[in-house]
Amino acid sequence: MIRKFLQKLYLALIFIILYAPIVTLMVLSFNQSKTRAKWGGFTLKWYKELFQNEQIMSAFYTTLIISFVAAAAATLIGTAAAIAIQGMKQRWRTFYMGVTNIPMMNAEIVMGVSLMLLFIAFRMKMGFGTILIAHITFNIPYVILSVAPKLKQTNRHVYEAALDLGASPLEAFFKVVFPDIVPGVMSGFMLAFTMSLDDFVITHFTKGPGIDTLSTKIYTEVRKGIKPEIYALSTIMFVTVLVLLILINYSPEEKEDTKTKKKRAKKPSKVKKILLRRVIPVTICVLFLFGGFYYSRESNVMNSDKVVVYNWGEYLDPEVLTMFEEETGIDVVYEEFETNEILYPKISSGAIAYDVICPSDYMIQRMIKNDLLAEINFDNIPNIKNIGKDYMEQSRQFDPENKYSVPYCWGTVGILYNKTMVKEPVTSWSILWDEKYKDNILMQDSVRDAFGVTLKYLGYSLNSTDLDELTEARDLLIEQKPLVQAYVIDQVRDKMIGNEAAIGVIYSGEAIYTQMENPDLEYVIPEEGSNIWIDSWVIPKNAENKENGEKFINFLCRPDIALKNFEYITYSTPNVEARKLIEDDAVRNSKIAFPDLSQYENLETFQYMGTEADQTYGELWNQVKSH
Amino acid sequence: MKSKRLLAGPYLFWSVSFVIIPLLVIVYYAFTSDGGTFTLANLSQITTPENLKALGISLLLSFISTLVCLILAYPLAMILSQKQVNQTSFIVLIFILPMWMNFLLRTMAWQTLLEKNGVINSILGFLHLPALEIINTPYAIILGMVYNFLPFMVLPIYNVLIKIDPNVLNAARDLGANPVQTFLKVTFPLSIPGVISGITMVFVPALTTFVISDLLGGGKILLIGNVIEQSFKQNSNWHVGSGLSLVLMIFIIASMALVAKYDKGEGGTAF
Repeated sequence: MIRKFLQKLYLALIFIILYAPIVTLMVLSFNQSKTRAKWGGFTLKWYKELFQNEQIMSAFYTTLIISFVAAAAATLIGTAAAIAIQGMKQRWRTFYMGVTNIPMMNAEIVMGVSLMLLFIAFRMKMGFGTILIAHITFNIPYVILSVAPKLKQTNRHVYEAALDLGASPLEAFFKVVFPDIVPGVMSGFMLAFTMSLDDFVITHFTKGPGIDTLSTKIYTEVRKGIKPEIYALSTIMFVTVLVLLILINYSPEEKEDTKTKKKRAKKPSKVKKILLRRVIPVTICVLFLFGGFYYSRESNVMNSDKVVVYNWGEYLDPEVLTMFEEETGIDVVYEEFETNEILYPKISSGAIAYDVICPSDYMIQRMIKNDLLAEINFDNIPNIKNIGKDYMEQSRQFDPENKYSVPYCWGTVGILYNKTMVKEPVTSWSILWDEKYKDNILMQDSVRDAFGVTLKYLGYSLNSTDLDELTEARDLLIEQKPLVQAYVIDQVRDKMIGNEAAIGVIYSGEAIYTQMENPDLEYVIPEEGSNIWIDSWVIPKNAENKENGEKFINFLCRPDIALKNFEYITYSTPNVEARKLIEDDAVRNSKIAFPDLSQYENLETFQYMGTEADQTYGELWNQVKSH
Repeated sequence: MKSKRLLAGPYLFWSVSFVIIPLLVIVYYAFTSDGGTFTLANLSQITTPENLKALGISLLLSFISTLVCLILAYPLAMILSQKQVNQTSFIVLIFILPMWMNFLLRTMAWQTLLEKNGVINSILGFLHLPALEIINTPYAIILGMVYNFLPFMVLPIYNVLIKIDPNVLNAARDLGANPVQTFLKVTFPLSIPGVISGITMVFVPALTTFVISDLLGGGKILLIGNVIEQSFKQNSNWHVGSGLSLVLMIFIIASMALVAKYDKGEGGTAF
């Protein structure tokens, strides 16, 4: 008895561990608050908004279509191969099974990388096709490995008997062998489908612009905080599959069995069984798939008129895109990046032709230097008049003649702290090295920001290239590492809202949002000075729709649109007219959003320092991170 | 017979094009420099202190996670295999079902569960128990690995165990073996193929992951997977990235060869 109990207990424990995160995600899908750090009450609104969120829905259907087509193709190729391999001599069979095992044994990352290099070497356009090829490749082995054991169990003689009785080989196969291996083929297909659906790493390396599967979409959002609609979507998917499984496995078979004694019960029960086990599940699947094809057709019927935009994650109100499309009839292909360093190689390799991108100051400088940007025709951007003169002046630091860039957002880097945990007044970066706050400090996970802060604290320029100064900064960062709770980019926001840490290094734009969610938080620009940055729209030289790009930029400079964006992303806008439209006085005059710059003397903008210095920074940062 | 062999044609074509040639491309990149000349510099990148450390930690963490998975999975597979239900597929599905929630989301959810003010600590606090502080430490990474890869250990072992003929066990008992002896001398040796295949399926992804360390390690722990991912996606140094990938591949092949030495029988596939 005790043993039975222990077994049950053990099963229950494992079950809880397996399903705890899933329950968590489901609960989050009903969370009123946008951040996962806070429970804001029960709501169903994310389910409603999900279906209006074009980006998520198209990622979802791309995922479904890729998984389905990849699994189907893999099932076809794999089953054929399994049948052939079965009939081979031992030597060949070992060879084929060896080949089959390569993708199974090989690291996903190596496989993703190798396919990426192949596609680039053969100049294949990264996109839907390349993802599909990659998925088929890793799916085939699953099919072969599911079908092969079933084939082994089939009786050769039955097949031969069928041939003797006059069946053609094809007939014999479909009438005799195939029915026996159907379960293997089906489970191979299902497995391949599931693996495709869940894959991230390989898709990450083989995808191109303008296409996202759910996984890659989620990965870009991880740093910004996942949109609650994604939780809602996952919950729907999970529940659908669960219902399907229950229907298939728990058909009313057993219960009906007792009833079969009654005369008439037998027939209806069979109908019911077929209905439950086959018809309903198949209908649900078909609905989903057709929805997918329909949806993707709708969204893929591209006008020739489009604009390809590459922006920071969560850096634009999605409604603005819809408004732009409606007003101009130009389709927006929208992609997001996480850091300037990820953006640069994509632009410099020229593999993908973006029309409008939004890098930061020093990266724009680098791009101008390397002749990657096109001069903007300001005749097409009359709304430039709404951008404050000061900001255009500020831009001259990286774009000396104001020829290439249109300011979009700006801000400072500072310390966000929780007043309930930090009692002393915060004025200096030194608090980031205070032992008192061990494990309560969140540091920026990007080279320039981490070093910028440290160099400023040491009293140097944050554009230092002096090796001694940099080494000093590195040593200080290594010294700080034991005190740091985590190196993060935008998760600072969620963590500070959820009272996870006392102090975080953060961009001023995020500070405004966090304060709205958690009034205990306070933002300061330390007295040693800090970084003042501008993110601006620029047009790459290889843009294919330059004029549309300019229209897009012009649209964003319209005061009402700039205001809409400001309210969504809470990063300071350089659009003076938009600022006037802000209704809330407290926000319009906020010291965080619009600090009086004359008060701060030692704010610096990042400069591009050349490849050599970049490498030095990179190496020193790696030493910090791996210490 | 000939026509039957033709059926393998598409597969052969596909494997050569998209499995074997890409691997050769990696080898090419690994042995050349930017200018296209032959070099060993990329491979020797693995010996820099940072990369060696990353490889060391990766090996350690993946070894521990594999061990933990094995310890958790074996009893689980035994219990499941003794359940005389004719619903193998259902049991299998219980483990595959979580995969329908995206892998990144599932791992992210552990952040919410493990954080200082997270769900688990709120429950522990309510019960006046000491808080669990493992988020952003190697322990959280191990937990993430075990959580994500446990099904890949359970399923192959389960599949081997249900195939063991009960008569063999009965015979052992009749011949006077106690339960422990039966297990050690009969059940376990017969299940080795499943164990081996489970070890492979956990160890390899654990060794090479970069996502789990990203999400649960707080960016404080670099695994070899992170280093490779960064060299492709951030520093765009494909030659070094390829060099490191090749080294990693050699590591995997070597460890699998070692494991396979003990694998005599067939079977023991996961699905």
